[in-house]
Amino acid sequence: MAPARAVSRPPGQLDDEAIVAASLEEPEAFGELFRRHSPRLHAYVQRRLGPALADDVVAETFATAFRQRARFDGRAAFGAWLWGIASKVIARHHRQESRMYRAFARTGVDPAVDGVAELASARAAATALGPHLAKALAGLKAQDRNAVLLLAWADLSYAEIAVALDLPLGTVKAKIHRARAKLRKALPEETNDG
Amino acid sequence: MDEIDALRGMRTALTREEAPDRLAQRIDWRSARPAAEAPRRRGRLKMPLVSLATAAAVSAAAVAVVSLASDERPPGGPSSPTVLTGNALLVAATNAEKAPTGRYWHTKRVAGKVYAVGKTAADHYKVDTSREYETWVDRDGKSHSFMTDRPARPVTAEDRRRWQAAGSPDEILAPDPDGVMVSLFVKSLGPRSPMPSPPDAYSFHGLTVRQLAELPTDAKALEKTLLGLKGNWHAYSKDFSQRPVREPIRSLRGAERVRALSDVAGDLLANQPVPPGVRAAAFKMLAGLPGVTVKGQGTDPLGRTGTVVSLPLETTTPLGIYSAPKQLGTYRRQWIINPANGTLLAVQDLVATPPKGSRRLPPGDDGKPRRLTVDYQPDRFHRPGEVSSYEVYTVTEWTDTQPR
Repeated sequence: MAPARAVSRPPGQLDDEAIVAASLEEPEAFGELFRRHSPRLHAYVQRRLGPALADDVVAETFATAFRQRARFDGRAAFGAWLWGIASKVIARHHRQESRMYRAFARTGVDPAVDGVAELASARAAATALGPHLAKALAGLKAQDRNAVLLLAWADLSYAEIAVALDLPLGTVKAKIHRARAKLRKALPEETNDG
Repeated sequence: MDEIDALRGMRTALTREEAPDRLAQRIDWRSARPAAEAPRRRGRLKMPLVSLATAAAVSAAAVAVVSLASDERPPGGPSSPTVLTGNALLVAATNAEKAPTGRYWHTKRVAGKVYAVGKTAADHYKVDTSREYETWVDRDGKSHSFMTDRPARPVTAEDRRRWQAAGSPDEILAPDPDGVMVSLFVKSLGPRSPMPSPPDAYSFHGLTVRQLAELPTDAKALEKTLLGLKGNWHAYSKDFSQRPVREPIRSLRGAERVRALSDVAGDLLANQPVPPGVRAAAFKMLAGLPGVTVKGQGTDPLGRTGTVVSLPLETTTPLGIYSAPKQLGTYRRQWIINPANGTLLAVQDLVATPPKGSRRLPPGDDGKPRRLTVDYQPDRFHRPGEVSSYEVYTVTEWTDTQPR
């Protein structure tokens, strides 16, 4: 699991917010933000949409972030803002995402992971619960799915998810609560002890 | 197991994070269309995923020119060809070639060294002291240089705490290899000062500015020319009676030749007024030298992220950026490069084996014998892997802006 929060930086290195500000004068500086955030963002996107679409979505996300960087006001972390842009781009592939979940639920083979080397133990665990979860994910509303996967797969906090999705904190909690209830119902009884 | 944990166990094969360099080579976000302008793509149920991706790639490429022509040019310009081997040096070469040219070659470099302050390994702190050099060279070889002493600073938070425990002195005394105590100043030492330009015409190992401008842009041809450069390329000689020999790099063998060639290539990349094509050739040449390896991500002494290139010099005894014969440890040299724009960010020497013992030095001005001892080595308390000295290149550009 990727570490949840921003990585600590050596002394003297600018934080993300300062780099965004600097990039208004010096566009080159923005490249550093790609270096810092693209590995984690790319992993998140390919978990949502599979490796085949991930590169394009990451490219669109950073292109949009770069163009809109003057609108970033620094009140929230850059990461949350960036994940918010990514969420919008991912949402445009909502049907493709749902289609893959449904195929996984139906066949027991996850098209997103097709061709990706996987540990046997991971495959076994995924086969046990994956199709159930996939079916439930396919049935979630776009924004509920965004919220719960930002929590589970992007490791964002509730507050960061609220920033990313531009929703009040209470609404985010309600969405995640609703999504969790649906996912819980989809899991086989014996694993439903937490 | 709750449902969030169950989700976390799903698609774990897709959670592996790729190195940003690899992503940067593949993902051309600089010319990607913004989401808002993207046409809606109708999903087609039967279409295999790979075709969707290809279609997206084609349409992204088709709009690249349009988006570059917009009012604001994204950084980096058009995409570089994808280099599947992941060789950061070759990517750097490709991007170095795209750098703009101008009337003046302008550089800023920071040369630094880490000094240990204190008597024992258990009770010492390290201080980083550095100078910044700024230089303009025009196409006739006329140069202007300035120098700024940068304030010394404790290296880590723990070093800072110990410095504060010592009373936060503005002036710190530390032993220097010359056998004296030197003063390191924590306060800024005032504005930059001009450095006198050399009276002779600009020269790089005997090459004039004009000859530098005409160096080959083919890696093999460049290597051949550089092999002919004459100098005293040995790190140090045990035999002081022997006068330094000037010989072409060609007469060196093995690691010594690689070191000489990489030194010259680094100097070309960081400091010398050569065209972008020559810089690209220097990166390619380095990629072809035996033992040069790309090590993944790292940060330079200013904290900038880059790709680490390790030079095959671990067994070389004394190797220093400016004080080779005065070291008693062994060092490993690293380059930090930024493949995305084809620049050399920094060269740093890490301690491989900490200094020990002593060595005879040539007699001083008073004719008395001298010895180099470990007590006066700035890195006497370094652990393997810690930075002993470095040069950081913050500006390396051709510009039309007048020297100022």
